[in-house]
Amino acid sequence: MKNIALGRYIPLDSVVHKMDPRAKIVAMIILLIAIFMDTGFIGYGLIGLFVIIAVLCAKLKFDFIWRAMKPMLFMLAFLLMINILVIKTGYVVVSIFGFKIYSDALFQTLYITIRLVLMINITTLLTATTKPMDMTIAIEDLLTPFKVFHVPAHDIAMMISIALRFIPTLLEESERIMKAQTSRGVDLEEGSFKEKIMAILSLIVPLFVSSFQRADDLANAMEARGYNPGGKRVRYKQLKLAFRDYLMLFVVIGFTVSLGVMSYIGVL
Amino acid sequence: MPITFKKVSHEYSANTPFAYKALKEIDLTLAEGKITAIVGATGSGKTTIVQHLNALLLPSAGEIEVVDKVIKAKEKPKNLKSLRKQVGLVFQFPEYQLFEETILKDVAFGPKNFGVPEDDAIRIAKESLSMVGIDESFYERSPLDLSGGQKRRVAIAGILAMDPQVLVLDEPTAGLDPQGAKQMMSLFQMLNQKYQKTVLVVTHDMEHVLDYCDEVVVVENGTIVMHTSKQEFFQDSSLMVRANINPPAIVRMRTTLQEHGFDISNDVLDLDSLAKAIAKEVLL
Repeated sequence: MKNIALGRYIPLDSVVHKMDPRAKIVAMIILLIAIFMDTGFIGYGLIGLFVIIAVLCAKLKFDFIWRAMKPMLFMLAFLLMINILVIKTGYVVVSIFGFKIYSDALFQTLYITIRLVLMINITTLLTATTKPMDMTIAIEDLLTPFKVFHVPAHDIAMMISIALRFIPTLLEESERIMKAQTSRGVDLEEGSFKEKIMAILSLIVPLFVSSFQRADDLANAMEARGYNPGGKRVRYKQLKLAFRDYLMLFVVIGFTVSLGVMSYIGVL
Repeated sequence: MPITFKKVSHEYSANTPFAYKALKEIDLTLAEGKITAIVGATGSGKTTIVQHLNALLLPSAGEIEVVDKVIKAKEKPKNLKSLRKQVGLVFQFPEYQLFEETILKDVAFGPKNFGVPEDDAIRIAKESLSMVGIDESFYERSPLDLSGGQKRRVAIAGILAMDPQVLVLDEPTAGLDPQGAKQMMSLFQMLNQKYQKTVLVVTHDMEHVLDYCDEVVVVENGTIVMHTSKQEFFQDSSLMVRANINPPAIVRMRTTLQEHGFDISNDVLDLDSLAKAIAKEVLL
C-alpha cells in the first residue's frame, strides 16, 4: 500500500520543483485544455514531446511515471470493451464468431487512451514536484479572486490540506486494523461471498469509527488553539513568482495557443 | 513446545529506498507455560517480534518455530489459520478492532471465524466476557458505546474466546487506570496458572514485570540484549540502567539504601523482605 505512485510527492532538486506552485497549477490547467483540443495524433505527439521534456527537467524517472499510470490500465481495458460493444462504424477489423470489431472502436479507444495518458502524466508531474502543503497554499491563492462569488477559498484549502495530511495516517490505520482482524481469523483472500462481506465490514467499521474520532479530536484541538475559519491570517511561507515561472507560463501558453491556431487553420 | 527464533531478521519495505532493518538475526527461546515480558524503548523492535508469532509478518531471514509450525524465510507458510487460532495476538489499543452491532456478537466473531458453531461461539463469548469482568447487562449493547477501558476488555475477551494456547499482548495496559491495569495483569496471570497458557507481554511498566512475569527479554535496536529470569533481572539495577529502563520503586528504594550504606541483599524484591532487611540493620 505504501508503494502507490499516483499523486505522490518525490523530493528532488530540480528546476520544476523550484517553480511557484501557482504557476505550475495554471500551467497544468492550460495543458489540460490543450489536450482537449481536437489536434489529432500529430498534436498529441507534440504534447507528448512537451511532457517528456518536462519530466526530464523535473528529474523524474520514467519508471515512476509508468507506475503512476498502472492503476489506470484496468479502466482502459473497461473502456476498450465498452467501445467495442457500442461503436459500430468504420470498417470491420476482425470478426470472431460473427462478432465484429470495427475500426472506429479501436481508433476511438486509442484516442481516449492517449488523452488519458497525457492527462495523468501532466497531473503526476504537478503532484510529484509540488509539496502537498505548497499545493494547498497555491489553491487558496488561486481561489481568492472567486471570493467575490462567496467561494470560501481558505476553507477549501484547509479541507484539502487536512485530507492530504491524513492519507498516510489512514493507510497506516487500515493496515493495523487489517492485522488485528487477521489475528481474529479473518481471511481477506479466501472464503465464501458472505465471509468476504463480513471481512470487509470488519475493516470498514473500525476505520470509520476511528476517522470520526480523529476528526472530532482535530476539530477540538483546532478550536482550543483559537482557530477561526473566517479570521484574517498571515503566512509563514510567501509565494513569489520568479523569472523562470513567467518563462514557463509563457512557453506553455505559447505552445497551447499555437497548437490551437494550427488545428483551427487545419495544419494539424 | 517452546517458541524459538533462529537467526530471524526482518526488513520493512525491503528493496526500496525506505528499507529499514527492524530485527537483526535474533535468537530467542521462550519457554512454554511462562509469562515473559518483552521490554525495550519505542522503536526497538518489540512489536515486530510479536507480529512474527502468528505470521502477520514473515521473517526476511531465519526461521521461527511456534506451537507445531515452522515458519521459514522465503517460504510461503501454509495453514496459517490454525496457527492464528493457537496464537492469540492482542494489539496495542485493541479497541479499534471492534465492529459488530453487539458486544456478544463481536466476541463471538473470532471463534466463528475458526469454525466454531454459532451456539458454542455464543457460549464461549459469554465465558470470556465474564473472565474480563463484563456482565450480562452489556451483552446486547453496541461495543462503540462503551468507555475506553470497557472497550479494551471486550477486545481482549474477543481474543480469549479463540482459546489460544499462546497469548501475546502488545501493551495491554496502555491507557488504562492503575486499577484496571492491575485487573488485566491478574487475568493474564490466572490464565497462565489455571490453564497453563504461555503468555507474552510487551510492556513499559516495570512494576507489572516485577509483579506478574517470570522472565524478561530486553530488546534494543532490533537485537536481544538480555534474556533472564525476573529475579536475576531485578537483582542488578545497573542492568536496567544500561537498558535505559526505570527500575520499579522497590528496586530503586533498595539501591538507594545500599548506596547509603545499608547492607541489603540483592534478592530482596518485595516490600515485606525489604522491611525485614531494614529492621535488621536499624534495630541492631
